[in-house]
Amino acid sequence: MVEILNVSNLSTAFQSDYGSKQALKNISFKINEGEVLALVGESGSGKTVTSLSIMGLLPNNAYIQEGNINLIDKKNNQVNILKLTDEKHNLIRGNDISMVFQEPMTCLNPTMTIGDQIVEVILNHKKISKTKAVKEMIDLLGLVEIPDPTQRAREYPHQLSGGMRQRVMISIALACTPKLIIADEPTSALDVTIQAQLLQLLMKLKNSIVSKTSILFITHDLGIVRELADRVIVMYQGEIVEEGQVKEVFDNPEHSYTRNLIQSLPEFKLEERKLTKKDDNKQTKVDDNEIILKIENLFKEFPVEKGFFKESNETVKAVQNISLNVKKNEVLGLVGESGSGKSTLGKSIIKLLQPSRGQIYFNNENISEYSNKQMIKIRQQMQMIFQDPFASLNPRKNILDTLIEPILVHNLMKKNEAINYIKEIINDVGLPIESLRRFPHEFSGGQRQRIGIARALVLKPEFIVADEPVSALDVSIQAQVLNLLENLKKSYNLTMIFISHDLSVIEFFCDKVAVMYLGHIVEIAPVSKLFNSPKHSYTRALLSAVPKVKGKGKEKILIKGDIPSPINPPSGCVFRTRCPNPGIDCKGGNIEMGLIEVEPGHWVDQCCANCN
Amino acid sequence: MNFFIKKLLIVIPTLYIAWTVVFVTLNIIPGDPVNLMLGGRPASDEVRENVRKNLGLDKPVFERYTSFLINATKGDLGKSYLTRQPVTTMIKENMMPTIELSIGGLIFGVFFGVFFGIFAGTKPNSMRDTFSMIIALCGISLPSFWIGMMLIYIFGTTLGWVPIVGDGFVSLILPSITVGLFFAGGMARLTRSSLVDVLNQDYIRTARSKGISKYRIVLRHSLRNAMIPPVTLLGIQFGLLITGAVITEEVFARPGLGQLLLQAILAKDIPLVQALVVYMTAVYIFLNLIVDFTYGIIDPRIRLERSRG
Repeated sequence: MVEILNVSNLSTAFQSDYGSKQALKNISFKINEGEVLALVGESGSGKTVTSLSIMGLLPNNAYIQEGNINLIDKKNNQVNILKLTDEKHNLIRGNDISMVFQEPMTCLNPTMTIGDQIVEVILNHKKISKTKAVKEMIDLLGLVEIPDPTQRAREYPHQLSGGMRQRVMISIALACTPKLIIADEPTSALDVTIQAQLLQLLMKLKNSIVSKTSILFITHDLGIVRELADRVIVMYQGEIVEEGQVKEVFDNPEHSYTRNLIQSLPEFKLEERKLTKKDDNKQTKVDDNEIILKIENLFKEFPVEKGFFKESNETVKAVQNISLNVKKNEVLGLVGESGSGKSTLGKSIIKLLQPSRGQIYFNNENISEYSNKQMIKIRQQMQMIFQDPFASLNPRKNILDTLIEPILVHNLMKKNEAINYIKEIINDVGLPIESLRRFPHEFSGGQRQRIGIARALVLKPEFIVADEPVSALDVSIQAQVLNLLENLKKSYNLTMIFISHDLSVIEFFCDKVAVMYLGHIVEIAPVSKLFNSPKHSYTRALLSAVPKVKGKGKEKILIKGDIPSPINPPSGCVFRTRCPNPGIDCKGGNIEMGLIEVEPGHWVDQCCANCN
Repeated sequence: MNFFIKKLLIVIPTLYIAWTVVFVTLNIIPGDPVNLMLGGRPASDEVRENVRKNLGLDKPVFERYTSFLINATKGDLGKSYLTRQPVTTMIKENMMPTIELSIGGLIFGVFFGVFFGIFAGTKPNSMRDTFSMIIALCGISLPSFWIGMMLIYIFGTTLGWVPIVGDGFVSLILPSITVGLFFAGGMARLTRSSLVDVLNQDYIRTARSKGISKYRIVLRHSLRNAMIPPVTLLGIQFGLLITGAVITEEVFARPGLGQLLLQAILAKDIPLVQALVVYMTAVYIFLNLIVDFTYGIIDPRIRLERSRG
């Protein structure tokens, strides 16, 4: 095996007003030709700093204290990257080592066409004419399976979906057939379905045209590591704690941190829970007789803004004809790709958005036409936990002020009583009482979400809509917050709607799951039925798209393309344009949407129920 | 295109409101235009009455307001109380010097503003950043009468490089620098902060990962993205200039709209003030339109929003 990159004794630190902070502590590793090396760890573990050190793209306040990074470049010369001037380094960047970044939405220049952005890197490193570079660019776009490349090359990044933009990023990285591609969480910001498409593309390219190129794949997702990588390095607080062949590391993790990391995966937690469930007496029972929330034929449509004089007749059809029941103490999961209408449905239910049509019954009270004033009383009973724990807390209010506000608004207690009560709640969510005096920026992501949960609990609601409450968190923190929610659910007697794009989290946390696609519920079933015998092709595709630590080698059901625009959804069954095996009637769009019960409690959209 | 038609349609009500506000204010504040015209000279009531009649000031306020409006729709903005000339002629005479000065100031301001902005913004918190920003601060905060007089003293009197008064291009240099310095200061600060912001964006990191030279990164990838805030400022400041830079005009003894407006207000010359205000409002709206149009050229995302909106 030929070694192409050798990192030895690398230490990197950040300089700040409070002194310097070590980000990498004396790490050494190597990458062989053609190998996929995964670098895993949580945020702050030094994964990205490692990649930026190799690329020479560290921010200004970071500096390399010591170490060597030796690269065998395309001409087979060994160069120490850290000794290069910026000009010399530029000859390597994009040419010998290229990089795919995490955020496809912000990683491309918004004022340049994507074609220009690819041509730029080609012309920068190859001595060829512009026309030839343009031809190469079109070929590259075809290679990353972007449909209609000549047309797309003239478009700007904002005209492309996230998945398409990431394909563009990949084609930029491939442009000069580098020795090494560093992919820093390239799919973390994307839906599982799109992620599965991209990972497959990456592997296809890896096995064909760039077979000698090595990939350094940085991720927090152990499932991806298991499916993709040859070797894995586990990082923790700037150090390499474990290194080895993927199978070995997963089967016999040596370091306790690696073991914890694997154990905290929801798929493992699930097993643990199944084991303990039997003797868990405290487990609250779903009350079959009492329906807390009942939704009938709910629609939410947003008008598309059009000209000054023209009234728009187009609408974004975000939520379409949704009916469902939530029983007392039940947790209903809503799952689907972004753009499927999950959050809109959640917000419409607690009437942060006024639904366009349909009825919402909360404790047998029809609240669908209630004004904001009438809702004030109801809102004591229904609360929301938001996705972004930082953005949803007022940065200028300390935690006490944030938490006490709803109590005073609803006039529930006197101020000193309220303060004592809040101390209890903050204790319940696992935060020290001192945190009440602090401000949101002083907390970590997980702690902020605990505050977000406390804020929702303050009014002692019986019903909570949790909108992606753990999506922004690291795996181990995610597990902690899920455990917390689980406990609070019992002690506060909560009924919940739990919105998530992460199927394993849903499986872990929910009793019943509704799968949404383009504003419709396409399947709804108790959690075990949905995960063990999914009936709808979309559900199957979603389930198979999730990279699983235990599922290596399983055939994936890939669905093509992106979710269609909710302004002009396909006629008939909305999923037919992406369905892997559509029937004839289904293809023609002749089948109306509508759920039918295939088994007790298991409802599937009739189109797919008939097809299969 | 719809977008611009929409914007143009807003012009008429805006002008009307500006017009009315000026009319009402000037009629409320105390002071008799006839007295001001006579400048304290004694005159019989008969003469006063005559002047009043000539100017149409004997009619009730409301009638004056409507007749102004009716004449305005015919393109006649009235005659100045003071000079008895049509106000449009007076504005026309003073417009050219102001436009010359504004464009001179604009060129100077944009050139030095953007230059120092890039110079500082590409290396924030360095010596050259501090140096550039001190200059920019001077440009903004030093009063233009002082700058004007210093320029005259140094380059006109002492060195004798440029004539202090006179016609033509050369005489425009010092006044242009005087108004341009203020301009340049604001531009430099805004270009700097915007550039610093853009250089921290993810797509700049992507560009660097391609191995592109730092000059290309600034010129090709950053500058265009950083230009939105400076262009906004440009529109506002150019609007200020083109409606007259009173002090600079005074210092360099140049004719111009600023001077004209000042005199008109002091003399309570209602038709002239009104016409000037309408002209200035129109200029502002027009410049705003150009600024909006420029946004679209700079950023394709704004283009898209517009074709939708």
